[in-house]
Amino acid sequence: MTIPSKFELPQGTLDLLILRVVAQGPIHGYAIAQRMQMISKEALQVQQGSLYPALHRLENKNFLVAEWGPTETGREAKFYRLTEKGRTQLQTETESWERLTGVVAMILEHPLGEPS
Amino acid sequence: MNWLQRLSKTGRMEKELDAELRFHFETLVADKIRGGMSEEEARRATRLEFGGLTQLKDDCRESRGTLWLVSIVQDLRFGARILARSPGFSITAILVLALGIGVCTLAFSLYNIASLQYVPVRDPATVVRIQRRSPENITPGVPYASIAYYRDHAESLSAVMETMGGPPLVLNQDEKRISATFVSSNYFSELGGSAATGRLFEATSETAASAPVCVLSYRLWQQKFQGDPSIVGKTIRLGGKPATVIGVAAEGLASLGTDTPDVWLPILQHTYFVEGSKALDDPKFDGLIGMWGRLAPGATMASAAQELLTLTNQLRTIYPTVIWDHEYIVVTPGAHFLTFESEPGRPPVLEVVGLLAFLILAIACANLGGLLMARGAGRQREIQLRFDLGARKLRVFRQLLTENLLLGLLGSLAALPVSYGVLRLVLVYSNAPAWMSALPDWRVFLFTSVMGLVAAILFGFLPTLQMVRRKKNRSLWHQFVVCAQVGASCVLFILAGLLVRASLHALYTDPGFGYEQVLAIDPGMSVHGYSSAKAQSYLEQLQTRLRAVPGVTDISIARVPPLVNDMVMITSIDVDGKRVMIYPNWVGPDFFKTMRIPLLRGRYFQNNEKNAVILSESLARKRWPNDDPIGKQWKDGKDIVIGVVGNTRAMEMNNTDATEIYYPPGADDFPGMTVLVRAAGDPGTLTPAVKAIAGSIDTQLYPTITPLTAGFRKNVAQAEQTATIISLLGGIAIFLAVVGLLGLVSFAVSQRTKELAIRLALGANRIAIFAAVLRRFAWPVVLGLVAGITATGLLSQILRRILYGISGLDPISYVGATAILVAILGAAASLPIRRALRLDVARILQSE
Repeated sequence: MTIPSKFELPQGTLDLLILRVVAQGPIHGYAIAQRMQMISKEALQVQQGSLYPALHRLENKNFLVAEWGPTETGREAKFYRLTEKGRTQLQTETESWERLTGVVAMILEHPLGEPS
Repeated sequence: MNWLQRLSKTGRMEKELDAELRFHFETLVADKIRGGMSEEEARRATRLEFGGLTQLKDDCRESRGTLWLVSIVQDLRFGARILARSPGFSITAILVLALGIGVCTLAFSLYNIASLQYVPVRDPATVVRIQRRSPENITPGVPYASIAYYRDHAESLSAVMETMGGPPLVLNQDEKRISATFVSSNYFSELGGSAATGRLFEATSETAASAPVCVLSYRLWQQKFQGDPSIVGKTIRLGGKPATVIGVAAEGLASLGTDTPDVWLPILQHTYFVEGSKALDDPKFDGLIGMWGRLAPGATMASAAQELLTLTNQLRTIYPTVIWDHEYIVVTPGAHFLTFESEPGRPPVLEVVGLLAFLILAIACANLGGLLMARGAGRQREIQLRFDLGARKLRVFRQLLTENLLLGLLGSLAALPVSYGVLRLVLVYSNAPAWMSALPDWRVFLFTSVMGLVAAILFGFLPTLQMVRRKKNRSLWHQFVVCAQVGASCVLFILAGLLVRASLHALYTDPGFGYEQVLAIDPGMSVHGYSSAKAQSYLEQLQTRLRAVPGVTDISIARVPPLVNDMVMITSIDVDGKRVMIYPNWVGPDFFKTMRIPLLRGRYFQNNEKNAVILSESLARKRWPNDDPIGKQWKDGKDIVIGVVGNTRAMEMNNTDATEIYYPPGADDFPGMTVLVRAAGDPGTLTPAVKAIAGSIDTQLYPTITPLTAGFRKNVAQAEQTATIISLLGGIAIFLAVVGLLGLVSFAVSQRTKELAIRLALGANRIAIFAAVLRRFAWPVVLGLVAGITATGLLSQILRRILYGISGLDPISYVGATAILVAILGAAASLPIRRALRLDVARILQSE
């Protein structure tokens, strides 16, 4: 099965994914992109052009806070961390995402030509 | 995070954003090197992957809401560059704005100093002015007996102060008199005033019984005593009464109200300085004693007014004849130089001045708008290019607006020194109190900045909108602007002409009476409490003795001597529903002979005649346009018209339409009479003799002797001042009109550059082209002139009621002003056309 190397994430999904990744502990932008790529088995390549505006948007909404700290290689990087507000947001967003995918799946999996 | 914090953190955020993205970039590069690329390759690949870093940064800024800040800074920088690139336009625009905003700022600054700023006294917010009112009466003064009652009983006032202007006093033996104000002993201590030397009055030390004392003003001390510190403790004579100088007030001492006297005297010693005065004893005395108070802690102006009303009702039982029906007390903030209260019938000075100032700003903005439109036409290509490069409409619009805003603020900035300079001159020439400063305070800064923003919107919005929409259909709007501009300039210009002509011309024509050889002698009997009989006998003696002086040809008495009185009386009658304002005077039989006012019909008064009046010709004609006035009843009373005399402009020098009515003096008029003496030659030679006689009859009096020529000169100086100010405004109007037209014609020319170039290339006559361009402007200009002249005609009829002395339809002003306006407009219009005719035809045609 081939996976298209690039596909459009639905609006707002990237924010949810970022929140989810950051929920595991303080992490900088580069690592977020790496981790998403890894977890999605290379299916999802987050571009810097969408990642950083999203990070700043989430920070501005107080879902994330950032601190500067050293990385394992000793360089200074900006580490993002989830706030209480961000955690709540992650929870509600995850629930609504699950409801949405559930509903979408229900309709899509309904056999064609069969009355409901 | 609010926007202010964001603003202060923007710098740090920018740095962090940069570092964050760099970290990402470097890590990617390092990864790629680890994967086996050379560093150079890795960098190139990463750069490709990253795309536009600037765009990415912009997106990040946008998502945190700081983009607008950065872009405003960009816009401002860009706007400044654009303005700097065309200094001619920018300087003209800033100058136009500086004038428009400057006039508004000046008007506001004056209002600010007079009515918004506190006079620098101790705790100014609790100082209040207390005045009497009733539905029928308005007076600023309160009788002394009432003040004493309020002082003793009012709990909402922690202190009560009184001020009372005294008569001009002779200082020692000087010819010129000085002004004096009587104040309560607590006046200085309550206001926190300090002395330059010696001491001021102290709350308990000055009484009616204690030794007479005075406090000199700093100004008088410098001018008359050369700042001599040993003056303290010396005795000076004020109106002939010895008084000890106890001190000199500090230079910056502020008094309440508009009063800036030369000397302060204790009000309790009023009867000593003004012999015979009943000011303090007579509860019915209605002279102007000003009452001021300091609110007790916790009291408000409303609660004080309420309490004083209760006390007034108690006073009514004590002085039933003094307190009016339905009398109430108004309490207003006291520590302002002037207060503009909303009284019914108050002339709308503030509103008129404000409106005029704003009108000038509006005209300035309209003209600048024209200029901007012309520039917009020239910038069409630049703006088109920006759209072609993908700029959004709103973004371009915002950028252009920012440019206008920058212009507006620069205009405000330039307006401040203009207004400051003029204000300083005004303060110096008007002898303003030393504490008044022309320096703008925060209110003026705020006002001026707001005016700059308002101006930017007024002049910039429409042209900018047009530029962004790239509309070609501008000709109707454009012609309307020409029309409106010419009309507005026309109004200002003709009005200036009218006012200048009215105020100057009237002065240099025959005033209708002979003033050159006349002296006015004011004995000042009324302030000394003279009875009618005593005054009458004094006047008779004085006249008899003066008649014997060689060189005296005529003598008469008059209640309102022409030219020398600062106050005139005005009455009015209704003729067929139209109100006619009249100057009344009460005069002796020889008044007309003394003043050389010709008798036209009937006869003069006889001695002790009653129930007779004499009218000026203008009044007779207004009242009975078709009948002989002699023998007619005046109003409904018993007075019969016995004579008609020539018109004079004695009471109002610049009003050729003034009307007068003369009555024989009644018993009450004698204490207020002035004696007029006509000399055969120079009246100055009579002064010593007149002075000796006037002083010897009653040593209590110190008569003021003034030649009428002095009054005339003062009038001329005032009229010239007014004319200068108005000419200045007229000059501003012309300047604005020229700038506006220059802009519009440039605009029109630039719109037709191609057409003109083709015509020139085909060998058209330059003059014909000239005419063709100008013809476009002919009808809006004519329409504007017609509208302007009509509006002025109507306006001058309204102005007439506010400012007397304008013959509203004076043809010379109209024709002259219109002709000059057309000439100036023509010259202004031909300038850009001439420039256009020098165009490089080939280059223009190629560029199209």
